[in-house]
Amino acid sequence: MANTWGYGAMTNSLGDIQNSKAIIIFGANPAVNHPVGFQHFLKAKERNNAKIIVIDPVFTKTAAKADHYCRIRPGTDIPFMYGMLHLIFKNNWQDDKFINDRVYGMEDIMEEAKKWNPKKVEDVTGVPADQLIQITKLYAQSNPGTLIWAMGLTQHTVGSSNTRLAPILQLSLGNMGVEGGGTNILRGHDNVQGATDMCCLSHTLPGYYGLSSGSWKYFAKSWGVDYNWLATKRFKNEEWMGKKGFTLSRWWAGVLDGKDGNDQIHNAGTNLKNLFVMGNGITSIAQQAKVKEGLDNLDMIVLCDPFVNEAAILTDKQDDVFILPAATQFETSGTVVATNRSAQWRTKVVEPMYESKTDHDIMFELAKRLGFYDEYTAGMKIKENKKDFTWPEDASDEIARIIKTIGLTGWTAKRLKKHTENWHMFDQISGRGYGEMKGEYYGLPWPVWTETHGGSPLLYNINRSVKDGGMGFRNRFGLEHDGQDLLSGKGSAPKDSANKDGYPEITAKNIEKVLGIKLTADEKKRIGKNWKVDTSNIIAEKCMERGMAPYGNAKARAKVWTFPDQIPMHREPLHSPRQDLVKKYPSYQDKSNHYRVDTKYISKQNEQDWSKDFPINLVTGRLVNMNGAGMENRASKYLAALSPEMFCSIHPDLAGKHGIRDGSMMWIHSPEGTKIKVKANYSHSVSEDRIFIPFHFAGHFQGEDLSHKYPKGTKPYAVGESANTVTNYGYDIITQIPETKGGLCRIEYA
Amino acid sequence: MSENARLKFYCDEHRCISCDGCSVACAEAHELPAGINRRKVITMNEGIIGLEYSLSIACMHCTDAPCEQVCPTDCFYIREDGIVLHDKEKCIGCAYCLYACPFGAPQFPSDGAFGIKGVMDKCTMCAGGPEETNSHKERELYGQNRIAEGKVPVCAAMCSTKALLVGDSAEISDIYRERVLSVGHGVKTQPYGWSTAYGSKI
Repeated sequence: MANTWGYGAMTNSLGDIQNSKAIIIFGANPAVNHPVGFQHFLKAKERNNAKIIVIDPVFTKTAAKADHYCRIRPGTDIPFMYGMLHLIFKNNWQDDKFINDRVYGMEDIMEEAKKWNPKKVEDVTGVPADQLIQITKLYAQSNPGTLIWAMGLTQHTVGSSNTRLAPILQLSLGNMGVEGGGTNILRGHDNVQGATDMCCLSHTLPGYYGLSSGSWKYFAKSWGVDYNWLATKRFKNEEWMGKKGFTLSRWWAGVLDGKDGNDQIHNAGTNLKNLFVMGNGITSIAQQAKVKEGLDNLDMIVLCDPFVNEAAILTDKQDDVFILPAATQFETSGTVVATNRSAQWRTKVVEPMYESKTDHDIMFELAKRLGFYDEYTAGMKIKENKKDFTWPEDASDEIARIIKTIGLTGWTAKRLKKHTENWHMFDQISGRGYGEMKGEYYGLPWPVWTETHGGSPLLYNINRSVKDGGMGFRNRFGLEHDGQDLLSGKGSAPKDSANKDGYPEITAKNIEKVLGIKLTADEKKRIGKNWKVDTSNIIAEKCMERGMAPYGNAKARAKVWTFPDQIPMHREPLHSPRQDLVKKYPSYQDKSNHYRVDTKYISKQNEQDWSKDFPINLVTGRLVNMNGAGMENRASKYLAALSPEMFCSIHPDLAGKHGIRDGSMMWIHSPEGTKIKVKANYSHSVSEDRIFIPFHFAGHFQGEDLSHKYPKGTKPYAVGESANTVTNYGYDIITQIPETKGGLCRIEYA
Repeated sequence: MSENARLKFYCDEHRCISCDGCSVACAEAHELPAGINRRKVITMNEGIIGLEYSLSIACMHCTDAPCEQVCPTDCFYIREDGIVLHDKEKCIGCAYCLYACPFGAPQFPSDGAFGIKGVMDKCTMCAGGPEETNSHKERELYGQNRIAEGKVPVCAAMCSTKALLVGDSAEISDIYRERVLSVGHGVKTQPYGWSTAYGSKI
């Protein structure tokens, strides 16, 4: 997404889905994962006659409300989308003007799409050719159409190709930057967007600044700390400062250090020794047997959670496992960011109970013990040159002061509080404020370029002025490629723009020329090098006056020349039931030092014909009463009662072949040699070639009940096998996200 | 609410997504013992393409309530607003009402907070029971009395898609009529200018 048009975030909003005429959902189950948000889908259907199309390996609760359901084989979204593009281009349903003015590299997509005729798509995806034709016609001719996705599209070895082709599909139809259109990626839970924006990630600084020394220097200055201190005291040396770290999905490889045939690591000659977990249920990480091995080999484990993190139960480690009681969201305050990039201020309901501490207090205490508390908190005092800081207001203001890339300048604590306090004064669908809040959108969806900007509810909308949240695509990939201009076409600038055509991102050097203005001597002295580091905010202010976006106005790109696949290409999952297609669409070459871990692709895929011993597709997902790892839900009596046991949804015909009765126990074996024992639940939601298991359970491991290990009084009401004990090896080529939505397994009666 | 209000539940099958928000909210609010389902979501034809649908069911607070007619101890009473309640202190737990009820609403706890073993428990539409309003005893026996506080019953308040409606039957039919009439007429949002309404053609 970010590599297509600038930002990797939901472009519109849940409420805006009500404006859609067609809603196509790939690998997402909002009726289960976003039940409240799903009302907007239902209202679009009710009021707008919008058609809902669901593409999913499993007939979900969302599919039950759809007009069309396609039962796709896991891991074949790319052929499916190319099949749609094939028909779109063949029938001339594409938006030529949009493509010409605002997209680069669509010709290559057209070439590839030619290969994917409906018959061929049927063979690869399992979706009947007739159905593909029917839904493509419906979707292409119902404007605007919105495209929804979630983990079903991302958790594949080709996840990063999936998330590029879906935007390309929308670009081909001109569905971007319009009400009722967009790519609406649904974030999995509360504040995921905020956590991403603030970089709970290992490959970039907060605000997606990357890890270049220039970025580090900008942050060192903004945090009020010495760059050399950061480079030499907080890192092995300056070189390691710029390297990506381990990922959530592969940290265990960092502990195991290539021993016993595990993947080799590149970590300055040492392995990981300590694990500090804050609010991440370990059961949601793929390959639990490896996770357990990783836990067992650590020197120390610290787990901060309101409930006992199942990592403490999974590991055999007896000493140096610390469980710290963390406070819940009701016991603290501050901002959270919703899936549509808008912020909301939360107020504290009660003081932290018993011995629990808030996350920030735990981190402050840790920083004190480690001896860098002053540096850690310095950034909060800079703005007003204060002796001490007020939490969390000064933290919010620090974020607003530093993060220019995604336009958080307007997110001051004062403004965000005012929005939450006046939430009744905003339209529920468009987010527009009325009365005192006029001119602002609820929660100030980023980018909010200045302290008076009203937010941008709909990314890349050129029908609104920049001041009113309009913008073109971001100029992020240079000015030209292969001799072709990457700036957007003539007349495609946002409404009321002084410059009617494409223009580059604004820097101190080009500002006078591009904006057609003259800076005063004082402004020239104060202005930052470019819009991303311009703490004076002169660039953004001047841009607003001229109706221009600081990040430029460029074309989206269908081609990413730095990726192994410049345009998205179909590659079979590492564990594919179709050996014949593996030969035709093999996976990537193995990748060395991929977030510090050597990662297998083709060698794993070719290790053996996996489909012989493991003929059944394995799909994992969520239940409506649980959330993520299910830690807090399984500890709730009433929520646990809805699904007290771990189970497997299995088609009666498949179960019958293995002598498995409804309600009897069954084993699921993974190609990694691991297994889980779960209860069979007959269901027609899955076909005979696949099973579905929820991933919220923990406390059992490969048939063994470990729940006696819970400290007294902390055992949750529901315990069971973790689905991730049998998820397969396989990680995305760009992001390392695990391939949990397209593995294989074998089943037997237990 | 009008003087002649009759309070009713209505569950819109086009909107119910079986999230169980209603049943969990009910159990949590009234602190029901395990196994007591004052409200339950039923899904029919689960997993079958084109045939799956769900509905949330509780006591339907019948005007001519069969439970009331068959009760040997005459423990039921119907309020003026149509809410069907019963007196747990008169109930003998014979389950005769369960035979009569067309919806399977009466529940029979085996133990726990709701007092005497086996006495019937059911949805009160969050209106408590015959004890003094908002008294400790009322809460212990029947759960919260939200109606007395002017609040919507907790199930409908929690419903994520507003499939489950509750209130004066006249109001419910108004809401439903509006839903039906709005079909195909676009979204309800504040007008924001001629250009948005008519596009660039103006």
